[in-house]
Amino acid sequence: MGKLGKKARKFAKKNLQSVLRRKRKLKSVFKKKASKKDERAEAEGVEADETELSITRNNVFEGTEDASLDAVFGEDESDEDADDSDSDGYLSEDESFSLVGETELDSHLEDKKVDGTLPVQNNEARLELAKKMNKLKRLKDKDPDFAKFLESNKKRLKALRDEEIYSDDDEASDSGGESADQNTSGVDVSKMLSSSSIDALYRLAKEQQSIPAFIRLLNAYRAACHCGTDSSSVIQDSFSFSKIVMLLLAEADDMFRKMLGVSLSNERKEAILELKNTSKWKATRPLIKSYLRSTLQFLNVVTDHQILAFVLTRVRASMMLFVAFPALLRRLIKVSVHLWAAGQGTLSVHSFLIIHDVAAVNSECFETCFIKIYGAFIGHCKSLDPVLLKHVRFLKSSFVELCSRNMHKSLSKVENSTQQLVKILQIGLQTKRKEAVKKVCSWQYINCIDLWVEFISLYIHDYDLQPLLYMICQIINGVAILFPGPRYLPLRVKCIQWLNQLSSSSGIFIPIASLTLDLLEYKIGKESLKPGSNFNFSSALKFPKYWLKSRNFQEECVLSTVELLVAHFAQWSYHISFPELATIPLIRLRKFHETTTIEGLRRVVKRFIDQVEQNIEFVRKKRDEVAFSPKDEQSVESFLQLERSSNTPFTQYYGSMMEKAATRNLLFAHK
Amino acid sequence: MVKKNKKQKVILPPALPAEISEDEIEVSDEDLEFVHENLDYAAFVSRLDTQSITKHVSRVAGLEGDDALEASYEKRKNKKENNEKVEEENKLYVDPVDTLPVKTLDGQLYYRTSAVSGTVENIEKDKIGRDEKDTSMRLTKAERRAKLKKNKKEAKKLKDLDIPQDQKEQAPQAAVLAEVKEELSAEEAFKRKKLKLAELGMELLTDPESNIKSLKEMLHICKDDDPTVVILGLLSLLAVFKDIIPGYRIRVPTEKELEMKVSKEVKKMRYYESTLLSVYKAYLQTLIRLEKQPKFQHVAVRCICTLLESVPHFNFRESLLSAVVQSVGSPDDVIRKLCCTTIKSLFIDEGKHGGEAILEAVRLIADNVKALHCQLHPDSVEVFMSLAFDEDLGKAEEGYHNNKVRNRKHRKRKHAEESSQLQDNDRKRSRQEMMTKIREEVSADYKAACFTLDVAERRRIQAETLSAVFETYFRILKLSMQSTSASSETDGNSVAGVFGAHPLLTPCLNGLGKFSHLIDLDYIGDLMNYLKKLASGGDSSDSSEKCLTRLTVSERLQCCIAAFKVMRSNLDALNVDLQDFFVHLYNIILEYRPGRDKGELLAEAFRIMLYEDRQHDMQKAAAFVKRLATFSLCFGSAESMAALVTLKHLVQKNVKCRNLLENDSGGGSISGSVAKYQPYASDPNLSGALSSVLWELNLLSKHYHPAVATISTGILNMINGNNQVLLSTLSPQQAFMEFSLGQRVFNPTYYAKKSSSKKNRESGRLKLKNIEQFLGEIKSFDEDELQAKLSNHFMLLHDIKEHERLRLELDRTNLALQLHEDYEKQKRKARKV
Repeated sequence: MGKLGKKARKFAKKNLQSVLRRKRKLKSVFKKKASKKDERAEAEGVEADETELSITRNNVFEGTEDASLDAVFGEDESDEDADDSDSDGYLSEDESFSLVGETELDSHLEDKKVDGTLPVQNNEARLELAKKMNKLKRLKDKDPDFAKFLESNKKRLKALRDEEIYSDDDEASDSGGESADQNTSGVDVSKMLSSSSIDALYRLAKEQQSIPAFIRLLNAYRAACHCGTDSSSVIQDSFSFSKIVMLLLAEADDMFRKMLGVSLSNERKEAILELKNTSKWKATRPLIKSYLRSTLQFLNVVTDHQILAFVLTRVRASMMLFVAFPALLRRLIKVSVHLWAAGQGTLSVHSFLIIHDVAAVNSECFETCFIKIYGAFIGHCKSLDPVLLKHVRFLKSSFVELCSRNMHKSLSKVENSTQQLVKILQIGLQTKRKEAVKKVCSWQYINCIDLWVEFISLYIHDYDLQPLLYMICQIINGVAILFPGPRYLPLRVKCIQWLNQLSSSSGIFIPIASLTLDLLEYKIGKESLKPGSNFNFSSALKFPKYWLKSRNFQEECVLSTVELLVAHFAQWSYHISFPELATIPLIRLRKFHETTTIEGLRRVVKRFIDQVEQNIEFVRKKRDEVAFSPKDEQSVESFLQLERSSNTPFTQYYGSMMEKAATRNLLFAHK
Repeated sequence: MVKKNKKQKVILPPALPAEISEDEIEVSDEDLEFVHENLDYAAFVSRLDTQSITKHVSRVAGLEGDDALEASYEKRKNKKENNEKVEEENKLYVDPVDTLPVKTLDGQLYYRTSAVSGTVENIEKDKIGRDEKDTSMRLTKAERRAKLKKNKKEAKKLKDLDIPQDQKEQAPQAAVLAEVKEELSAEEAFKRKKLKLAELGMELLTDPESNIKSLKEMLHICKDDDPTVVILGLLSLLAVFKDIIPGYRIRVPTEKELEMKVSKEVKKMRYYESTLLSVYKAYLQTLIRLEKQPKFQHVAVRCICTLLESVPHFNFRESLLSAVVQSVGSPDDVIRKLCCTTIKSLFIDEGKHGGEAILEAVRLIADNVKALHCQLHPDSVEVFMSLAFDEDLGKAEEGYHNNKVRNRKHRKRKHAEESSQLQDNDRKRSRQEMMTKIREEVSADYKAACFTLDVAERRRIQAETLSAVFETYFRILKLSMQSTSASSETDGNSVAGVFGAHPLLTPCLNGLGKFSHLIDLDYIGDLMNYLKKLASGGDSSDSSEKCLTRLTVSERLQCCIAAFKVMRSNLDALNVDLQDFFVHLYNIILEYRPGRDKGELLAEAFRIMLYEDRQHDMQKAAAFVKRLATFSLCFGSAESMAALVTLKHLVQKNVKCRNLLENDSGGGSISGSVAKYQPYASDPNLSGALSSVLWELNLLSKHYHPAVATISTGILNMINGNNQVLLSTLSPQQAFMEFSLGQRVFNPTYYAKKSSSKKNRESGRLKLKNIEQFLGEIKSFDEDELQAKLSNHFMLLHDIKEHERLRLELDRTNLALQLHEDYEKQKRKARKV
């Protein structure tokens, strides 16, 4: 949800319950964010959420250990505004253009039928006002003394009103550095623009390269973009509003480029920096700045996804121009990170593309991007329902993608973050206190691990990530150990999956057998296994208690065990020590096979045992033929290299198991 | 002179002063003068450990005369205090420290203003006969200060205690009493009782002898209806008793003795003692009665424990002990902990009471265990671990004699010094000699009376204690053996649920390990058999034992460990076959589960059974090497490290095991009876491990944990047979501790930080390979739609603004209308006026 003006939101909250309700229905996701922000000055934006979060968390931890996930990167926001606050007024205009039709003032507002409660309420209010006014007037007429009295009390009235306004103003100036008084320094621009005059101006600017016309357009654009927050508005009807916005967004970039003499295809950011000292630049700089500023403001105000996406594509097109304004760049980062995290689908993608471009500007930008995006990510993955799953996955992969832009920087950041994870985990392991443990078993924590697991498995081949890998393995092991109970089966499964993923992507041996085999030991008290209701496995870290008694649970345990072990074994199925690797799990599985009574599970386990034994036999036979010793690493590496390409039974079995698992999960997701 | 002797006493504790009643010592005026003049000589007295001296002095006791002496100590001190107060401060209030000030609810403090004068006079009178002692007494200022402080602390404690309770209780109580008695509010009654308690307590502390009757009064208060008052009373009495109970046991005089004519003082003393004893008894009875009421349980247990800890030598120890032992297995954590620490301190502080209390306690615990069929909290047997048995009691006898001789010499030397000091005084010297003689006589008496029992007695006590302890241990073992069918029906409740079917087995095995060197050799054979069976965990083929509730893996490991400890501490003197234990361990390894079982135990078993094993059985070693390697493939880094450290050690020790590192395709020469490796065999000797190859190590060298990877590679490289055995300094236990998920594991220093960053790939232009799927969603924009949306947006904004404006207007008009009302009112008022 974009940022409506503070006033507007306050108003909406007071009077527009139904509208709000509708909005909430539409975008329940954003609502959370927005309503939270209502309570705070919005300038703080996303980070405010984060800092608040970390503050509350620190309180939990008695401030001794700064153990919140997001407190890793200290952020300093304060420098922004100072840089930002140089004049954001209107550009000075050439008065000569005032002649172009500025006459038609009658608003088209009333004739347009806009449904919704707002106009109705407005009408009601208007009626009431009229009634009251009449009454007042009658009173005044009846009693002239009262009129005098009223006059004498006017000051009081006024004071009261001012108070109201001031309080509003305070908030308004908070809300983006655009207070009304800035306009006073500017020129009087309260002349109305109609759509035809816009057309005319555009023609002038486009064909004759008329700078004053362009300025006029830019001012109009600014007014339009500030529509919600500014009191004086040039734009009075919706048609001209949409026209000016569309026009500027579509054409401004081109026009600037033309003015600067930079070709469209020239995407190099250095180009603009080279231009920096030329007179051409000096002439156009204020125009560009005004345009960019207005566009950013517009991004803050608009809520509609499509509009936002469109604006973002245009912003991206003129990214080159942004480079020259670091302060604006920072604002852009803030806005786009917010949209990236809060938006959905295309909007997120567009915002990410912007972030991606911005991050490429320089390492400082990359750092801010990284920090903001991390904060937004952490703030955004507090809960995970199936709807959000895809979005979070997108956030994760785009984040990981972003890291590749500056590996050196991001590596150190990732290290910091993992250190933070370690700290939290250690508190959990040492104190075993409820709140500390709860913090580990939270989606934030889990998603964070997930993020870095993905990061490592993507980049481990290209970079030296061994220490990080080791770290994250320890963290995952620690998490698995911290939550041993059967209720935490999903978490345990997740941990083992991570380890498998890391192992298969890095080619490093990570033992998971004992962690996995524990799943088989989860005994449910009574054998009264009801089929039990379905439960979505992927969106929980912990099962509800009642679920533990169901038959599904036991199935889940056994099937997960088999799937995880298959994945583990499949990776090493060609390794020379596969027989030894499988020895202990086989013993355990055989025992389980003997004791279990559920026929379906017995079959699955039996098949698995058979497959593994077959592979053991296969490897052993091959192994007996070789003459090298375990010490001979190269020979061991080349062992069964040939067979690796061909499909052994075990590989086939692995493939079929994975398919089954996928369908099973799909079933769950659909139920 | 008396002082000087005391000094000696400090240095040589056993040689205690001649027990001389005041009357016997003639202290001439000259003596007094001398002391007065040479105060410097006497300065050391102030540094004396007066407390211990008092203890020794009173120990000599047994005779009434000395009680008087002790009492006089008390009195003197109090007198001094009071005098000082009067002289120095000369205030209306008696010093706040002296009396317990009472803080009323409104926060004012009331001090007792009089009441001491009587006692002062009393003391004055008492003093007359013992003037000669005054010299020494005067110098014990330090002691007095200490006392003073203690009192202060006690007073504070009491205050601290009663204030919160007081606030809690008073509300309901007030309601009840207000109905009954109007003129006397409950608060006042409560306050009065409190005040009374404080007064009585202070009186008793300042002068126990003359105020001994107040004890009864205090006890009476303890029977109050108000639970708070009861608690206060109990605690005050506790403080008083702790302070006034003498350091000896009071013997009730026989009838014959009672008939005998005695001096007034003795009579007084007798009265004092009998009162003390009877009240103490009643107090204990009250405590034991109250212990059963949940309301007072904690307080009562605390009192009992404190008493047992501070006065274990005194009468009625038995009832205290039995009460403590009863609650040592209490389900209440606080109570249990309190009792455990009390018993432990009892075991450790042998000197306080002689060994007898220990024996009694151990016997009581043993009975308790027997009565409850071993279904107790583990802590109740765990306390045995604090027992200390003097192994060299036999030898001690000689040593004791030697010591004596040495002591004597020592003493002589001391005397010599002293005499040189007092050389000029011949009379002094002669007296000195006389004193020495007397001392020797006394020391004989002392030995009879004092708590340091002679060696034979101590040995007897120790033997009995030991037998009681082992009786308990064997009972537990035996019960665990038969376990079951019977007890599984009865238990299932209480402790059993939390600590498994055999709650006492763990502390029992620990204890066996600790005291293994004290076990009679005759029993060891049986013991080993028991342990063997237990270690098998009921796996044995007997169908009858199938029903046996299975021991946990940890318990079985402990059995193995205990067995090895027993063998080790008996210097392997017995020819017991430990082979079975190896078989058990070989199988237990497979059953180990990281979360459920204690990894420390596994590591300890590795250490004691494999790492430190002195046998060189090649088959067995190879089997374990293979199993440990396989084990490391499946478990976490801590377990793996423990196993690998052991493995490395085994390979180092057994040269032939190094063959496992080589793929000797022929194999045959050493592979023994079994030609092919049987991974699933349950007997290490039949596994044929010698014919296997340690391929695991290769996989382990790819382990994510750098330490595991390093040690695996290290082992692989031992192949070259360079016999310079690099003994790894790490024991399996240390390895386990170091690598279990604790503080240090997350320390990435295991890396030598080889920052050989791989080919730093150029970060390509917008690769976006993993968000490609999402990029597909980008659509082109429909301009008309956009325009429509934009206008909607504008309309919304406009409406909002409009609405705002209207509201403002409306508010203003409303205000104006309101003003009109005001205006009307004013006008009316004006009219009225």
